[in-house]
Amino acid sequence: MMDKSNLAMHMAGSQRWSDSRPDSRVGQPQPAKPTRVKNIGLLGVAFFIVSESMFFVGLFLAWFYLRATSDAWPPAGVAPPPLLPAVINTGIALLSTVAVLFADRAIARDNRSGLIAGIATAGALGVIFMAVQSAEFTALSALAQGSAYGSTFTFLLLFHVLRVFVGVVLMGVVLVRALLGHFSSRRRLLVQGTAMYWCFITGVWLVVFAVLYLLS
Amino acid sequence: MKLAIAEAIATERDMASISIPIPLRDRARTGLLGWLATVDHKKIGVMYMMVAFSFFVIAGVLALLIRLQLAAPNMQVVDPQTYNQIFTMHGTVMIFLFTIPMLVGGFGNYLLPLMIGARDVAFPRLNAFSFWITLGAGLVMFGGFLFGARSDAAWTAYIPYSSKTFSPTIGMDIWLLGLILLGIGSTLGAVNFLVTLYSMRAPGMTAWRIPMFGWAMGTTAGMVLLATPVLTAALIMLVADRNFNTQFFTTNRVQLWQHMFWFYSHPAVYIMILPAMGIISEVIPVFARKPLFGLRAVVISTILIGLLGFTTWVHHMFVSGVDPTIERFFMFTTMVIAVPTGVKMFNWLATLWGGSLNLKTPLLMCLGFLATFVIGGISGVMQGSIPVDQYVHNSYWVVAHFHYVLFGGSVFGIFAGLYFWVPKITGRMFDEKLGKLHFWTMMIGFNVTFFPMHFLGLLGMPRRIATYDAGRGWEAGNLIATIGAFLLAFSVLIFIINCIKLRNGERAGNDPWEGNTLEWSTTSPPPEYNFREIPVVESDRPLFDARMRTPSA
Ligand code: HEM
Ligand SMILES: [Cu+2]
Repeated sequence: MMDKSNLAMHMAGSQRWSDSRPDSRVGQPQPAKPTRVKNIGLLGVAFFIVSESMFFVGLFLAWFYLRATSDAWPPAGVAPPPLLPAVINTGIALLSTVAVLFADRAIARDNRSGLIAGIATAGALGVIFMAVQSAEFTALSALAQGSAYGSTFTFLLLFHVLRVFVGVVLMGVVLVRALLGHFSSRRRLLVQGTAMYWCFITGVWLVVFAVLYLLS
Repeated sequence: MKLAIAEAIATERDMASISIPIPLRDRARTGLLGWLATVDHKKIGVMYMMVAFSFFVIAGVLALLIRLQLAAPNMQVVDPQTYNQIFTMHGTVMIFLFTIPMLVGGFGNYLLPLMIGARDVAFPRLNAFSFWITLGAGLVMFGGFLFGARSDAAWTAYIPYSSKTFSPTIGMDIWLLGLILLGIGSTLGAVNFLVTLYSMRAPGMTAWRIPMFGWAMGTTAGMVLLATPVLTAALIMLVADRNFNTQFFTTNRVQLWQHMFWFYSHPAVYIMILPAMGIISEVIPVFARKPLFGLRAVVISTILIGLLGFTTWVHHMFVSGVDPTIERFFMFTTMVIAVPTGVKMFNWLATLWGGSLNLKTPLLMCLGFLATFVIGGISGVMQGSIPVDQYVHNSYWVVAHFHYVLFGGSVFGIFAGLYFWVPKITGRMFDEKLGKLHFWTMMIGFNVTFFPMHFLGLLGMPRRIATYDAGRGWEAGNLIATIGAFLLAFSVLIFIINCIKLRNGERAGNDPWEGNTLEWSTTSPPPEYNFREIPVVESDRPLFDARMRTPSA
């Protein structure tokens, strides 16, 4: 089979046999850095989120294993955690996710003030989330040392809230750079990455909320 | 564009004799700072290789100490406490600081972009970060070793050995910290490789045209990405148990550690063998002068091994008191995973079959791989059966098994890769005579060291004992193993001499072996930007195509 699309062939002005499996890309002009996806940065964030999820899978594995091998869960004498703060935080997490997605949509349409408003709201909600969690921790710290239940409970909350912290820092960077006039519909990798990561953090929270509060 | 590659080869070859002008960018970055500050995947790859090889030598010396101690009954080369620290460090360093960084960090970094026709990995700075964090982790681990705080709970760090009660010193914490750092480094590296492989391939390199080594690295990176974070979680939990009084691994729940550890560490054994399999899948076709037999079958079985690797971890826990139904499930999956492994074995043999074999050192190393790995595979399947494992678990039989797969497999694969690609990396050829001598001493030394361990295991010798009494029938086997170990060490010495002699080695030229993959189309060593022009690929053997097209080259 003759490969007519081959640039080099045309340039060389000769004909030659081609591989029996033609490929549509052959002969296209050569980019300096060939890449098959529009945004390799986001692909990197996606893979990173996969590894982050596996970290939580590990912690949940411990939770379910310890739960299955314990007589009582939570152990006798330990009250189940109060629902109210967790419910409030679930609302906050969902709201902040909406805000961060709004911010990303806004800059996609080159609306920088929308980006600033959205990311500032989401960041502020993230800070409130952390404040509520830190109140939880003071209540929990004694529990962590006493039992397997307390240990896994605190660990799941702790490592989730660490991610929230990272997310808030990222949003702070986005905010400052947006105020400095950075980002546009074409250059918004950091905004998109932050939004993706924040959605992941909210997703983890929903699982944490379901498993630790609703199913115990 | 086969023509373009052929032309590139022709021009590169012509230019080699006129001395190639180095672009300014390259010249600016030579010297020590050029290495320390580099983000070039090739330099990072070489640094990984150097660091990993140094750790290999150190851990090898520790192995000699182990063998000296066990050479005869009641030897007192080191005291039992020190002995525990030595085998702990030997295992940890060989696995985490040598095999994985060498294969994934070294070969993966150096070759992946070159083979897929890219100028670098997707995130070069992240790549440099991964390297430095890996080196830092290694130094942390040895820092503890040098300053008297040493861990001695074996590479598996089973509870309760690794608990505060039995490992009270900070050595254990340092060990854990080192592993946590290493895990972060390799997870980030895996992200990098996956994105690179997915998005940076040269035009025309469809999935089925990715070289086998690329598939192996991709699968490996996927496994690292999924497995490592679970180990990281377990390590942090253990640190907390030891220092903050949490209650994860209290004595009645020792199994949790084993589950989490093996959930990572069984995949980790494939992380150590898949890249080596990728290497020999590249080397064998070149030296048999045939295409790899059934490329797609090899690719699919590689991916299957990657997936099934996550379903077998309990076979390390057959005497831990896991529920028998669960045990039986894992026995089944362990048998199943031997099938894709066997498929690959047949593919390599079929590639060799009827080929015009060019018996140079790289191919010899591959033959060494095939001969020894198959023995390790068979002993693996045997102990994958619950009744057999209850007899041989924790005995020298297991030690024999994993050295046949890890040394016989991974290390022979690593040396096959070094003999094959160091000419590309340095532009110089190894001394072939010394190479052959290296192979034969290593092959003989290896088998003399580890084959008797099968018998020792069946005779009931437990692993990880500091010494033993006479009269149990273990003397001869141990003495033979110790003699073999020194022969093995001697073979590594030959390799080191061969490396030193590289300076005056013959010039390699672009393509000394008539290779198949893109790295052979550029100069040896390749320029910083790898390819003057990004090649366009039209088959799974682009260089073979190119050679077929240039009549006189
Ligand atoms: C045919 C494939 C294989 C099978 C069926 C298999 C099976 C097993 C089983 C059942 C054990 C547990 C023995 C015990 O502790 O009682 C084991 C241990 C081990 N295997 Fe394999 N294996 C295979 C291939 C490999 C490969 C390819 C590697 C690495 C390159 C490997 C590395 C190890 C290591 C390091 C251990 C010992 C871990 C320890 O306890 O320190 N195995 N294998
Ligand atoms: Cu295993």
